[in-house]
Amino acid sequence: MTKRMKAGLAVALAVGLGLASPAEATEKKTVAYLAPSLDISYWQWVGYGVKKKAEELGMDYVEFTSENSPAKQMDNARTAVTKGVDAIVIGPVSSTSTPPLLAYLKSQNIPIAFAGIGPQPGQTDYTSSVTANNFETGKAQGSFVCKLAKERGGNKVGMLSLPQDRENAQKYLKGAEEAFKADGCDLVQMLETRGLTVNEAVTQANDMLTAHPDIKGIYGMYDEAGTGAAKVLETRGLTGKVGIAVADGSPTTIGLLKANAIQGIFFQEAVGQGLDGTQQVYNALTGAPVEKDLALVMPLVTADKVDSAEAKGVIDRVFPPAN
Amino acid sequence: MTEASTQQALRNGSAPLPIRQRESVIGAYRTEIAIAIAIVLLALAVGSQVPQALSWGNFANITQAGAPLMIMSLGVLLVVITGGIDLSVGSVFSLTGMVTAQAMAHGFGGVGASLIGLGVGLVFGSINGFLVTIAGLAPFVVTLITFAVAGSLAFIVTNGRSMPIGDPDFWLLNSGSLVPGMPNYILFCVVLLVAIEIFLKKMVAGRWFYAVGSSSAAAFLLGIPVKRTKFLAYVASSLLASFSGLLTISYILNAESTAGSSLMLQAIAAVVIGGASLLGGTGTAVGAALGALMITVIQNGVNLIGINSFWQGSVTGVAILIAVLIDRFSKSRRRAA
Repeated sequence: MTKRMKAGLAVALAVGLGLASPAEATEKKTVAYLAPSLDISYWQWVGYGVKKKAEELGMDYVEFTSENSPAKQMDNARTAVTKGVDAIVIGPVSSTSTPPLLAYLKSQNIPIAFAGIGPQPGQTDYTSSVTANNFETGKAQGSFVCKLAKERGGNKVGMLSLPQDRENAQKYLKGAEEAFKADGCDLVQMLETRGLTVNEAVTQANDMLTAHPDIKGIYGMYDEAGTGAAKVLETRGLTGKVGIAVADGSPTTIGLLKANAIQGIFFQEAVGQGLDGTQQVYNALTGAPVEKDLALVMPLVTADKVDSAEAKGVIDRVFPPAN
Repeated sequence: MTEASTQQALRNGSAPLPIRQRESVIGAYRTEIAIAIAIVLLALAVGSQVPQALSWGNFANITQAGAPLMIMSLGVLLVVITGGIDLSVGSVFSLTGMVTAQAMAHGFGGVGASLIGLGVGLVFGSINGFLVTIAGLAPFVVTLITFAVAGSLAFIVTNGRSMPIGDPDFWLLNSGSLVPGMPNYILFCVVLLVAIEIFLKKMVAGRWFYAVGSSSAAAFLLGIPVKRTKFLAYVASSLLASFSGLLTISYILNAESTAGSSLMLQAIAAVVIGGASLLGGTGTAVGAALGALMITVIQNGVNLIGINSFWQGSVTGVAILIAVLIDRFSKSRRRAA
C-alpha cells in the first residue's frame, strides 16, 4: 500500500467515524403502541395520541394489535423488542393479562406506559399508568343523571352498562350507586351489553323502558348506549322527557348533545391518554421525572357549553380532528 | 256431493278442506305449531313476572328487534335446505350497512345507496355460490372465508368508525308505512315469509331445493339443476342478509362495523329451532321465522326480567336443544305410526 493510499484510507476512516458519531448521538427513539384491538374507535384514538406525541418528541412510531388475545399481546411485545423499540405504550387486553408482560419488559429494560386500562392491582414494574378515574366519574355521572331525573319529576333511573366483568365497569357502577344513594335516586334496572353496538343498546333501552315506564334518567356507560337510548326516546316521543348522560364521547354523541337528544357527556380523553402515556415513557428514557399513576378526570360537557372554547379543548383530547 | 263436484268446489274455493287434508296441513306444520305454542307460553311466563311484556308496545319492540334476524334467517334457511351453510351473513350484514352509509356520505341518495348496499349481498352471494358449485369447495370453508373477508372490509370502509346515515328520509325504509297502519319492517317480513314459503312448498323450483338437500346425486339424476339451485340459495341468502342490514341502519340511522357479529349464529339457531336439519332436505320459512321470533322473545324476556344478559346464550342454547329434541321425538313417533 502506498503512502498516498494509506493517507486516503486514514482520511476516509476519520470522515466515516466523524459522520457516524453524531448520527449515533441523534439516533431516533422508537415507541410502540400495543392496542388490544384496532376495530374499536377508542383504541385508534389512543394510537393517534401516541403517534402525535411521538412526532412532537422526534420519535418513530410503530403499532401492533393484540386482537383481544393475551397471547398475541405477549407475542407483539416480543416482536417489538426484537425490532428494537425503545419504549411501549399499551392498551392491554385486560389488567389480568399484564404480569408476564411486565416481567418480560423489565428484563429487557423497556419502559412501558398503560393507557385506558391499567395494570393488575399489585403490579409495580411499569413506568406509568394513564387511565380515567372511573369511580369518581361514575359518581359524578350518577349524580348528574339523578339530577336530570329529578328535574323531570321522578327519581327512577336506568343504566345501560358495559359488561360487569370489566374492572372499569365495576368502578363506574360503584361510583354511580353511591351517588344515587346519596342523592335519593333509585336504580331500577341495569342491563349489560355484550356486543357494544347501537342496535343492541336500542333493544335494551326499549326493553328497559317497557319494564319501567317511570324511568326519568338513563345512565349510558359507553358511547353506543347513549346513541341507542336517544334513538328509543325519539321513537317514543320522549326526547327531553327522559334525561340521558353518557360516558366516553364521540362525534355521534356530540351531535346528539347539540340536538338536545342527550343532556351531558363525560368525556374519556382517549387521545389525551395516548399523549400523556408517550410523554411519560419519553421522560423515563431521558431521565426526566415520571408520574407513575395518572387518573384523568372525565370532564362533563353539557349541551349549553358544547361550543365553548373550554369544551373544544376537552374534545381535542378525546378524538382526532378528522372525526 | 260426488267426488267430481267436491274437486270442482275445491278449485272454486267454495268448499271447506276435507278433514284428511286439514289433518295433513296440521301434520305438515306440526313443528311450527309446537314452536308457536312454546313462544306463547314463554311470553306468558315473562308476562307473569313483568306485566308490560304482554303490552302492544312490547309486541312492537319484539317485532322491530326481531325483523332483521327473521329476514336473515329466511335466507340462511334456503342454504340449509340445500344441505349447505352460510357463515358469512353477519359480515355481509355489517358490510352492507357500512357501504350504504359511505355511499350516502359520497352524495348518493337513499335509493341509490341502498342498491349499492344490496350489491354487496349480490357480490358475496355470487362468490359463495361460485366457489361452492363451480370450484366444488366445502360450504363451511367458503363462507368462513367470505365471513372473514366481508368482516374485514366492514372495518376497512371507514377505518372502523361508525357512520351516521346521511339521508334524513332513510328511516322510511324501516319505519314508514307502505300499507297504512303497518310499519314497513313488518310488511317486509310478512311478504318475504309468504313468498318464500309459497316458493318452497308450491313451486317446482322451490321443491328442487329440498331434492338437492336430500340427495344431490339423486337430484342430478332426476335432471334437477343442482348447481344452479345451490348458487341461487347462496345469492338469496346474502341478498337477504344485505336487506336486513339495510333495515337495521334505516332504523338506528347509524352503521357499525360490528353490527352483524352476533347475528350469524342466531340466524342458524333460528333455522334449527324452526325444524330445519343442518343435513339438508327439511325446513320451512314459517319455522325459521318462528325460530327467529323465539330467540327475540327470549332476549326480550331476559331484558325485561333483568336477568344478566350473558345468560341469553345459555337460554337460547337450551331452547335449541328442546326444539331439536321435540322435533326428533315427533318424527320418531310419526315413523312408528
